Amino acid sequence: MAKGLIKGLGITLKHFFKPKVTVQYPEQRLPLPDRFYGKPEFYYDKCIACNMCVNACPNRVIKLETETVDKKKVVTKYDFDQQYCLFCGLCEEACPKDAIKFSKDFELTRYNRPDIKIEFVQPDQVERKKEEIKKAAAAKAAAEAAKAKEQEEQKPADAGEEGS
Amino acid sequence: MTIKTEEFLLNLGPQHPSTHGVFRIILTLDGETVVKAVPVPGYLHRGIEKLAESRTYTQVIPYTDRLDYLAGMLMNWGYVYAVEKLMNVEVPERAEYIRVIVGELARIASHLVATGAYAADIGGLTGFIYTFRDREDIMDLLEMISGARLTPSYMRIGGVAADIPDGFIEKCRRFIDYLPDAIEEYNGLITGNEIFQARTKNVAVLSAEKAIDMSLSGPVLRASGVNYDLRKARPYSVYDRFEFEVPLGTKGDCFDRYYVRLLEMEQSAKIIRQALDQLPEGPIKGKVPKVIKPPKGEAYAEIESSKGIMGTYVVSDGSTNPYRVHFRRPSFVNLGYLDEMLKGWKIADVIAILGSIDIVLGEVDA
Repeated sequence: MAKGLIKGLGITLKHFFKPKVTVQYPEQRLPLPDRFYGKPEFYYDKCIACNMCVNACPNRVIKLETETVDKKKVVTKYDFDQQYCLFCGLCEEACPKDAIKFSKDFELTRYNRPDIKIEFVQPDQVERKKEEIKKAAAAKAAAEAAKAKEQEEQKPADAGEEGS
Repeated sequence: MTIKTEEFLLNLGPQHPSTHGVFRIILTLDGETVVKAVPVPGYLHRGIEKLAESRTYTQVIPYTDRLDYLAGMLMNWGYVYAVEKLMNVEVPERAEYIRVIVGELARIASHLVATGAYAADIGGLTGFIYTFRDREDIMDLLEMISGARLTPSYMRIGGVAADIPDGFIEKCRRFIDYLPDAIEEYNGLITGNEIFQARTKNVAVLSAEKAIDMSLSGPVLRASGVNYDLRKARPYSVYDRFEFEVPLGTKGDCFDRYYVRLLEMEQSAKIIRQALDQLPEGPIKGKVPKVIKPPKGEAYAEIESSKGIMGTYVVSDGSTNPYRVHFRRPSFVNLGYLDEMLKGWKIADVIAILGSIDIVLGEVDA
């Protein structure tokens, strides 16, 4: 009469003697695949401020601000408003320099709403970058000046040859 | 002496676990019997069609994930297929095969949820746990290839986002080999159960004519014995290269609707195995410009999703954003016949009937 019912109970009974398929989560963790979209990571030095990620995002999550120092763009702000993020990875795909990447950190809950937003760029990073650019510009200018001087020194000699 | 009786209204939902989300049915009851049922969808409405108008063509893809979130891959596919039709883009063969593989995996995952949730609706929570155990393997596979479990955003206009990672094919084969054992277990645990059969057999019989009249699709239609599967009737992508059958029901009752899904899983596994064997080498993305700007015009494309025929209508005005996007969501259309189906059945059967249609509220409300 209740054959099917007993068969079903037999199936569940068998599982008593089989290894468990569950994992005790906070202590034990399963490995995550490499393509996993967790918390975003931003590499300040790689970013060239091309705005590709800003335009690729469906929800305008990324806010990028730049400042021009010696004709070079310096990223002064890179805010990632995570609460609107769909974790679709379109920004990562759009980035030509791999400056934005998603890590495997998926525990993103916060107690307060303002903590959700990630402000990637630190003021000292900006200062350092500006310094670097200035230094590089100064070095370049010095090199150019030296080169010009060299050329100038050569020029009179050339002129002298031509004149003779 | 006669006792005065009257009909009364009962709200089933919106916060009720057996409505599979936030779905409300206003039931007019005569004692325990349903006299009238008015479905009230819209509690999960996010206006995805309207949102799409202010996004670029590529940016709509993550939103399609959130239609039928149990088979996000298929929703991606329906949308990109329509845009590809609009732009006349040719998709490389390898990309088509990858699409078939992930699409069928998503179909199995969706049917596993339908099967398990249906068992839970009827009162056997164990079945739910068992199907979810096996669905987890598919979730792992999808996570491996796309980086997300439910919202893959994996398909791109003209191909797919990334190639198959190492170890995916082996893992996929292992799952396909294991699936028949799992289905046998479900048959023993759920299908063969006398209580389950008593609750579902001959309940809400849907005739083939009526199903066609109401433009139902998917397993709900096929359970009534109508042989109409887009993958066979009007093959898209590379479906004409695979050998598979379209499982049909005989009666069109709740049991048939449930059982057709189990049989479909077997067929999907068959398709995946063939696709893995035939998988060609080559590029995964066709020649698509970086900024997608389809010519002025419109396109309508249909695919067979896990719930039925998923159609996407895209209108382009020549700019980077679609002028209009419309989704024909099978869950929503299949719900159209709910009132007729529920009439005359007891309130306990309401749960069984609603579960057998297998709706996903993300798709119903869009």
